[in-house]
Amino acid sequence: MVTNPSNRVPAIAIENLRFNYGDKEVLHDVSLDIPDRQITAFIGPSGCGKSTLLRCFNRINDRIPSARITGGAIRVGGIDISRPDLDLQMLRRRVGMVFQKWNPFPKSIYDNVAYGLRIHGEKDSKVLDERVEHCLRVVALWDDVKDRLKSSAFGLSGGQQQRLCIARTIATRPDVILMDEPCSALDPLSTLKVEELLLELKKDYTIVIVTHNLAQASRCSDQTAFFYLGELIECGPTGQIFTRPSESRTEAYVSGSFG
Amino acid sequence: MPDSPTSSSVPADHPFRRKGRGTDGLFKAFFAGNAGLTIVILVLIIAFLIREGAGFFPDYRRELELYRRSGLEFVDLSRKDLTAHEQMSSLLNRAYYAQVNASCRNEFQRSQEAAAIVNYLGEVVAPAQSALQRVLDRAGEEGVPEELQASLSAKYQALLADALAGRAGKGLPPTPHLSSAERAGLLADLKSRDPLSTDDPALVLALQEQLSARQDAAAQPLEDFRAAIDAFADASVALDNLVAESGDTVKAIKEAATLHEIETTKRATLLEAAAKAKKPEDKLQFEAEARAAVTTEAVDFAPALKPVLDRIPEFREANAALSAALAGAGDKLPKRLEDAKAQRYLATFRKGMDAYAIELADTNAALVAWRNDLPIGLGSTILGFVTGREWITGGEWQDFYGIIPLFTGSLLIAVIALALAIPLGVGAAIYTNQLAGRREQNFIKPTIEFLQAIPSVVLGFLGIAVLGTLLQETSMKDSLSWIPGFPIQERLNMFTAGCLLGLMAIPTIFTLSEDALNNVPSSFAEASDALGASKLQTIFRVVCPAAISGILAAVLLGLGRVIGETMVVLLVAGNRIEIPDFTEGLGVFFQPAHTLTGIIAQELGEVPFGSVHYRALFVVGILLFAIVLGINWTAQRMLHKFRIGHD
Repeated sequence: MVTNPSNRVPAIAIENLRFNYGDKEVLHDVSLDIPDRQITAFIGPSGCGKSTLLRCFNRINDRIPSARITGGAIRVGGIDISRPDLDLQMLRRRVGMVFQKWNPFPKSIYDNVAYGLRIHGEKDSKVLDERVEHCLRVVALWDDVKDRLKSSAFGLSGGQQQRLCIARTIATRPDVILMDEPCSALDPLSTLKVEELLLELKKDYTIVIVTHNLAQASRCSDQTAFFYLGELIECGPTGQIFTRPSESRTEAYVSGSFG
Repeated sequence: MPDSPTSSSVPADHPFRRKGRGTDGLFKAFFAGNAGLTIVILVLIIAFLIREGAGFFPDYRRELELYRRSGLEFVDLSRKDLTAHEQMSSLLNRAYYAQVNASCRNEFQRSQEAAAIVNYLGEVVAPAQSALQRVLDRAGEEGVPEELQASLSAKYQALLADALAGRAGKGLPPTPHLSSAERAGLLADLKSRDPLSTDDPALVLALQEQLSARQDAAAQPLEDFRAAIDAFADASVALDNLVAESGDTVKAIKEAATLHEIETTKRATLLEAAAKAKKPEDKLQFEAEARAAVTTEAVDFAPALKPVLDRIPEFREANAALSAALAGAGDKLPKRLEDAKAQRYLATFRKGMDAYAIELADTNAALVAWRNDLPIGLGSTILGFVTGREWITGGEWQDFYGIIPLFTGSLLIAVIALALAIPLGVGAAIYTNQLAGRREQNFIKPTIEFLQAIPSVVLGFLGIAVLGTLLQETSMKDSLSWIPGFPIQERLNMFTAGCLLGLMAIPTIFTLSEDALNNVPSSFAEASDALGASKLQTIFRVVCPAAISGILAAVLLGLGRVIGETMVVLLVAGNRIEIPDFTEGLGVFFQPAHTLTGIIAQELGEVPFGSVHYRALFVVGILLFAIVLGINWTAQRMLHKFRIGHD
């Protein structure tokens, strides 16, 4: 099923974005719309800038001292988030993130999911209980862990830990979920579960996923953007990108000639 | 195919063939030797410590047996009650004087301030004054040459003018409790005072009179209290005399027994020498000396002790007198005292009364039950060392080796040191690792680690010369008198030592905590950031909890350093071998104390080689070794147990 991105207000609009690590420009003049409540996949060979672009959406790149946006704008809900006086905490409540390597906190399963709510001031244990249960049900972990919510998150398998991280991210009800190669360290069975989950989450969340796994991109995404050497080469409905791309470099990449 | 070693070896001319034996084995042996030697030395040290220390308990047991057999223990039963009685009386006296002084604090300060002015001026003009006095003394009848007198007088006037203007020394002392008219009058008085006079000015005398009048007035309503204190204090006279007299007797018994033992040992040594002697004339001489060596007879303890034990009824009677006085005091003492400090002393006394009454009753029973021929087990000797409340050495009466006073000192000092070093060390680590920029990090880390480069003896010197004096002077301020323990009585005390040790522990705690924080995977902080946490939330809810095992280990290693440190405590802790007075509340930290490490450093150089005292110090050393080892081991365990299983 392919929908035309232009008929809805985009969740994220990227306009002529330029991005630098120190003096080196790694994103050159990227413009792209991320449609609301769809899955957008970023593909491209290593070092093409797709992860960097993803990490601009919640300004997590700010953790790196030399990283900065040098031109253009990123609009989330109409506001340019590259402005220096932006409240990063509020932005990150709206734009959640799941990382390549699962990174639950060294806390209990329950505390991991409740963390985001607690730091935003939620103290009512009834509200927390409900939300934790809901999020764990969404990621299909509830039945596995309901009897050991208080035990360490490190006791779960890799796939379970990654799904716990997704539960932790959706607990604060973001609008957008960024996923940076969420399955690259998972076995095929766990990957499959996460992909099913993505299709489920799409109903409520806008999802941007960076992946090296072309099959995954073609399986789950609605829109695919191909990056090469810091430039957006081509973006369009997934089916089109994989079957009849308009650029020869895209075709070469998706057919496996390089990458 | 045959598979023997010869057929499977590499052909001699093949490039794969190993040439020679190589130097690898040699290098391996060298490095293995280094590691092995270190371990052997460590084992030797431990073996030496244990060998020297192990002899302590049998030796100490023999000493304690002599202590019992010669009756010293019997006398100590009552002496202990006397000491307690003295402490109880002193509590009452402190309560009394606190109450009296509380009502004349103003007068006291006025008198002190006036006296301070007079003393200051006196000190400044003293050189001129004494010169003038000497000249006059020597001059006799002819009189003093006028110009000499004039020049000395001029000198005196110059000094006086300096003093009055506050130009000499620390300047004129302040007098916040005197009115400006009083101060001016006093200065004028002093200015016009005859150069040779040392009489106190009228104001000083008047203030002293006011003070004593006020004290009398304050004492007036407390007359009954005073009488009760005196009655209680006097109740011990009978027991005092008994203890003093019996003490002399048993001491003589012990000395005789000791002398006999020394002589017997000497004879045994001589006989041994005689047996080994090669020449017959040497042998004969040794034997003759051996016969002459023993001049005293073995002490027969039971009959010698009889005169003391015969007086048991007298002891019991004196004991009963004390009990009666104690019971009587309960009714005669005032119910409450107005002054808070006085009331605290009184309350402490009342709290101690029951315990003391029980103690007296116990003594009464113990006096009869006491036997001089009961053996002392090795177990109770060890218990006596570990739980002993007294460390008394080189005394005439009896040496005791109880480590509780030393242990308490070490512990309290460590508490202060950690109370200072944990917030500073961990706080600095959190700042440096989580909040500071790269340039700040590059400045803070080496600077704090530089603290470690200060030799401890230099720190100790600093403690004596600067910190101790500064603290004591600060504690004299009226505005700070609400702090428990202020004003500080002793310049060298546990608090000062603890502060310096804390300073020494900061680099350890800082560096290791910083490492622990650094080892927290950055993915935790990243995840927390991505969830919209603020910087502080990330630090205190994610990073610090993840690093807590490392931080605890850092604190423990800091503690190990504090417990093992010697030089600073030896110089600064005040070296009083006594269990600190915990009735002072938090003020206990401002008392001097001795420590496990300090005692070894101080006494080991002076004790005779191989004596019980010498061996006791070795046992303290072993204990210290065990404590520090235990702390470090726990720290290691802590690091492993809570290590973050992120993989």
